Amino acid sequence: MDNVDGTEHYNLKVTSELPTLQVIILDTNPLAWDSLNRTSNLSFPAALSQLLIFANAHLAFSQSNRAAVIANHIDGAYFLSPAPPGTDTSDPDEASLTPEQQRDIAQSNASKYRGFRLLEDEVRATYRRLIRATDPKAVAESANASYLSGALGLALTYINRVCFGGSGGRSNGIPGEERGKVNAAGGQVDDTGRTMHAKILVVSVTPDPAMQYITVMNCIFAAQRLKVPIDVCKLRDSTVFLQQAADATGGVYIEPEAPQGLLQYLMMGFLPDHTARQSLILPTKVDVDFRAACFCHKKVLDIGFVCSICLSIFCEPPDNAVCSTCDTKLDVSSLANIGKPVVALPKKKKKKRALDSLSESNTPSAADSPVPIP
Amino acid sequence: MADSDEDFVLESSGDERGARGRGSRRQTRQSKKKAATGAPRREKWEDIQRSWDTVVEAADGSIAGAVIGLLEATKRKRLLRDTTPIQRGIIRHLVLVLDLSSAMNEKDLRPTRFHLTLRYARDFVTEYFEQNPISQLSIVGMHDGLALRISDMGGNPADHLSALQDKAFTQEPKGASSLQNALEMARAELFHTPSHGTREVLLIFGALSSSDPGDIHDTIKSLVEDRIQVRIVGLAAQVAVCRELVMKTNKGDDSGYGVVLDEAHYRELMMTATTPPVTKSQSTSTPSLLMMGFPSRTVETHETLCTCAPSGPNAGSSVGQQQDQTPAAAPISQRYACPNCRSHFCIDCDIFAHESLHNCPGCQAISASTIKELVSRSKDAKGEPVGTSMRTQVAEATRMLEKSKIAPGSSTTTSMEIDP
Repeated sequence: MDNVDGTEHYNLKVTSELPTLQVIILDTNPLAWDSLNRTSNLSFPAALSQLLIFANAHLAFSQSNRAAVIANHIDGAYFLSPAPPGTDTSDPDEASLTPEQQRDIAQSNASKYRGFRLLEDEVRATYRRLIRATDPKAVAESANASYLSGALGLALTYINRVCFGGSGGRSNGIPGEERGKVNAAGGQVDDTGRTMHAKILVVSVTPDPAMQYITVMNCIFAAQRLKVPIDVCKLRDSTVFLQQAADATGGVYIEPEAPQGLLQYLMMGFLPDHTARQSLILPTKVDVDFRAACFCHKKVLDIGFVCSICLSIFCEPPDNAVCSTCDTKLDVSSLANIGKPVVALPKKKKKKRALDSLSESNTPSAADSPVPIP
Repeated sequence: MADSDEDFVLESSGDERGARGRGSRRQTRQSKKKAATGAPRREKWEDIQRSWDTVVEAADGSIAGAVIGLLEATKRKRLLRDTTPIQRGIIRHLVLVLDLSSAMNEKDLRPTRFHLTLRYARDFVTEYFEQNPISQLSIVGMHDGLALRISDMGGNPADHLSALQDKAFTQEPKGASSLQNALEMARAELFHTPSHGTREVLLIFGALSSSDPGDIHDTIKSLVEDRIQVRIVGLAAQVAVCRELVMKTNKGDDSGYGVVLDEAHYRELMMTATTPPVTKSQSTSTPSLLMMGFPSRTVETHETLCTCAPSGPNAGSSVGQQQDQTPAAAPISQRYACPNCRSHFCIDCDIFAHESLHNCPGCQAISASTIKELVSRSKDAKGEPVGTSMRTQVAEATRMLEKSKIAPGSSTTTSMEIDP
């Protein structure tokens, strides 16, 4: 009977490739796009069509690949595709078209692959609705507005649901349970209970939202845990947070020198999927800026002060030397010496040090070395 | 054996009351124990919980609501734990001891104890370093009466994972396991660890016996002297010496010793060791403000002098994770709403937001003015209409949640009442 062993069938590995979900986070701040258009001659409509070509290329790789587009707008983050259930996805401009224009559109759509057309129509229509609902006065006031952490949060929760069935990348590790999921999801599942790979592409034209430092970092760590790379295409204004995001999650960070050729950068830099990336040298930036934003004034720092209890970062010692995050009374006496020239220690002090280390070795914590037992 | 005898007397004390004066061996031991500890201990197996007793049928006789409630209760289990602030040691030194003796060939845990243990060990390494980014780990195996070093004390999860793959997976479980040899090896590895960190051993014990070269009690004594805390996960049954070992090294607290019920419970017991232990002694150093630099990584084309500086890609890692920005969500139905922005979430997203993301995606994705508008609108509407079936499910789910919350405390009160 011992020869009948069922263990092997629990150790089967899924060898074939899983499909990929591509989430694109697109900045839609009108003022930022306008200034980009003036400096480097890339308008938003041109960029959007190039992005849609990129998304289509991704969909064309496999029948089961999927794509989602999220707008990082001036007053929040919104799903452009898939549109939230219950929203009207008809194009608001359609009614104003002449019959000839409508016929032209219908003819060009007739020969288009259905998967491409659905995505394009949905993204364009929801984007038009979004712009119509935006108050022009609000646009003027928000040249640098960005809801980066909100957009990343939406992307990650969506990925968690679509790719992990809501398990958060933590499989319960019980053999057999994951096999049950194979049927439920209708596809294959790897060791961690993931049914799809995912990657995020952030197309950014706005500067760092320093106020969102903590929340953006939280998103980066969540992405790291889900093993989702965050790719960054930075068209304008170099950024600290997104560099760290790409570095920490193993994504690609590119600042295109010639933004007009966006499509080239997208296709060459960001298209390869999980499997292809393992055998490629990625065109990412090697220099990474690891600066952090302080918790008190949200300034980006080179040198800061860190609470030894909760590791909060401050740009200057906090009021009354009490940490504003954990309310701990901090000892700031040692900080008084900062900026003074470093002086070699006098000999007397050295002696005292030697004594200290001697007395330390007599403490009970340092017990005799354990004797090996034969 | 002694334990079960005593408990038998306790259970049937009503019938044997007349025999008390005769001073039978059982009775004297019973009274001695009572005098010493006060309330008699109730063993786990005395309180049988049948899973089908807790299921309540809905009005139409379906149990769908109850099943959903149970599922959600397990999902939310981690969120309902106690959140009292306590000091924990975050610089840890832990030795993971795996049993690789012939007892691990048993198939009572699917697929075998051995395969499942290695699989969980892999998960443990990942989870341990995720929770304790500045801690150290080492892995030791108990194989054929000897202690087998699998990986050295170190902080790189990749090293441990590859060592597990190369050295543990290739082993055939064989021979007896030796607690003493493994503990002595762990003690030797923890010997040089600095005093500000914790010293811990997590032992997975599949066998029911230990073949030791010397007196294990001496080893226990030296473990206590070296202030090494031992936790044990038993795979078969409770072993007296394991319990003693855990109690003595944890200042009389035996909660670190558990015997697994099934695969899921095994994982749960093992993963509890990833949370840092509570610091019992007062720390002597005062908290201070440290000056710290946040460098940039640059690649230079010309040669430079070696600075021997470690790269710091994770400098901010503990910072971000410590700041839990998620407001506690109140359960409305199968959905969970954020009290700040009134966005609704399914349970999966809610748990993901609390455990991984630590942000509310709603609050982050909506502007402050829109949130204000939403809050005022929901105040006018006095909540939204919820279907009746939905409402019953709500009640059931919340009841389940409360139950799972109360359960551990209530069992202790009942055992107190038994004692006159």
